[in-house]
Amino acid sequence: MAQRPATKKSAERAALPHFNFRRLSGGAVLLTNDSGTHASLSGAQFRQFRDGRVAAGSALYKELSAKGFVRDMMDMDGYAAACAKKNSFLGAGPGLHILVLTLRCNHKCVYCQSSAVGQASRGTDMSPALARKCVDFALKSTNPGITIEFQGGEPLLNWEALKASVLHARRRAKEQGREVRLALVSNFSLMTEEKARFLLANEVSICTSLDGPADLHDKNRVFAGGGSHAAAVKWLKYFSAAYKKQVPEFRTFKPSALLTVSRYSLGREKQIVDEYVRLGLEDVFLRPLAPIGFAKQLWDKVGYAPEEFLSFYRAGLDYILKLNARGVTIRERNAVMMLEKILNGTDPGYLDMRCPCGAVIGQLAYNYNGDIYACDEGRMVGWQGDDLFKAGNVARDPYSKVMLSQASRACASASSLDTQPQCSRCAYKPFCGVCPVYNYETQGSLSGEMPSNGRCALFMGLFDTLFSLLAKPASAKILKGWVSK
Amino acid sequence: MNEKKNSPLFFSGGIYSAEALRLAAAVFSARGGVRLTAAKGGTEAALSGGINPGEFANEALNQQCRIDLSARNSRLSGIIVTKALLSASGSSKKGGK
Repeated sequence: MAQRPATKKSAERAALPHFNFRRLSGGAVLLTNDSGTHASLSGAQFRQFRDGRVAAGSALYKELSAKGFVRDMMDMDGYAAACAKKNSFLGAGPGLHILVLTLRCNHKCVYCQSSAVGQASRGTDMSPALARKCVDFALKSTNPGITIEFQGGEPLLNWEALKASVLHARRRAKEQGREVRLALVSNFSLMTEEKARFLLANEVSICTSLDGPADLHDKNRVFAGGGSHAAAVKWLKYFSAAYKKQVPEFRTFKPSALLTVSRYSLGREKQIVDEYVRLGLEDVFLRPLAPIGFAKQLWDKVGYAPEEFLSFYRAGLDYILKLNARGVTIRERNAVMMLEKILNGTDPGYLDMRCPCGAVIGQLAYNYNGDIYACDEGRMVGWQGDDLFKAGNVARDPYSKVMLSQASRACASASSLDTQPQCSRCAYKPFCGVCPVYNYETQGSLSGEMPSNGRCALFMGLFDTLFSLLAKPASAKILKGWVSK
Repeated sequence: MNEKKNSPLFFSGGIYSAEALRLAAAVFSARGGVRLTAAKGGTEAALSGGINPGEFANEALNQQCRIDLSARNSRLSGIIVTKALLSASGSSKKGGK
């Protein structure tokens, strides 16, 4: 048997600090460390680095030193500051508070993940009094700047509770001298001028679902009362016009839209992006469907394999980059959030991609009956009869008890990447996070098993795509522009 | 680990702890039955209810890796998780409710 040439087990080799690596397509090797810095090396450079043969004083040595990959040259204060910056959310507390004002919905979306019931159902509306209690509970958060997001079902079906909670939140925020952002996620089918004016006057930011051009949107988002797409477009234009106009009395936010990629969306990435551009939206979120809640039961019909989504994503992102090169303003949200971490070392507030994940410590979902769940996905699991992710109840449990509930502790522990085989040695660890709800729903445990985990395959593919694009000057220039301050 | 059709799987005690096997069995509890019995040099797992032996063995390995990794990294992980939980609860600051 041929012997491998001896490598230096000397001080140079021992001088390697902790790092993770991944071989990318094309032969490059990505190095990362826990502070979130990265370096892309050729195969030959990586072998030099691994064997401690990078010549001191060379350009590569200087780059690796500056980025914290040479132990003797480590700037520990800088390293610690970078870690603190990217993990600043650890000291913040829950910033996102999702109020599920009703489970009723007038749509029957093919992928419905949100445990909605029919429009005529009874007993699934939050009362205005309970909605105010939820607002008060949210204001107990240690996070100085919270967002209260109104969801459903379709939240406009419970206008009284929505109105009550908006007014209450504004009043309490003023009393406490606190910043409170309010956001509504609606399909717009029940929007009226009167409601729109109220929302604008109270500085509620608006988000709707938009799955692409009319035929695709209406195929995904079935609305017996007429075209769902038409309503979404009509009110997007209305709120966009209000944003452009601006008035001195209140701030008006630019409306946004959320895309859910179903099986029907695959292959239609250009038409979807074109629709967003046509409506003046500057961000499109090529958001994968997750087999959670009701979508799990419908997966054979509307779901897809991670590889199928990644093909869709790569084609969509490629098209978006081409549009950018032609001067069109449009960004992809997954990429933006990941690039914030990769290039700026900051946390973009993407709760699904944190370590620990955002369950309870970053967000809470308040069900129509006051039950509090670790996140909205956990609430969907609860609707199916499994309350593993229930953290308490607004009326019965004090804030600190909810924060330190079993659900909270279990999710935080299970999503710690330092105790996840594979994740702990993954090059994408500084930028990634696992989802205990996804793991539980697809693999039967909170911690999951990453080598066969669909979400892990999907995020690995997204990171591979981005790092490959960052290695190309033309695409790197556009991507860096998306997150430049 | 030796695998035979319709035979119990054998997990060597030198690699697999009883805790890892119990955790793996819990993961599969909704899909079927896992009966763990002590055997010479390790543990035997008898699977029923259509549990795929390969999947069970993967999960057992995953759980053992988690246990081994936790032994090394639990201090760091514990600091991060505790910081996040106490900050969120207000316990690390005055004024928490």
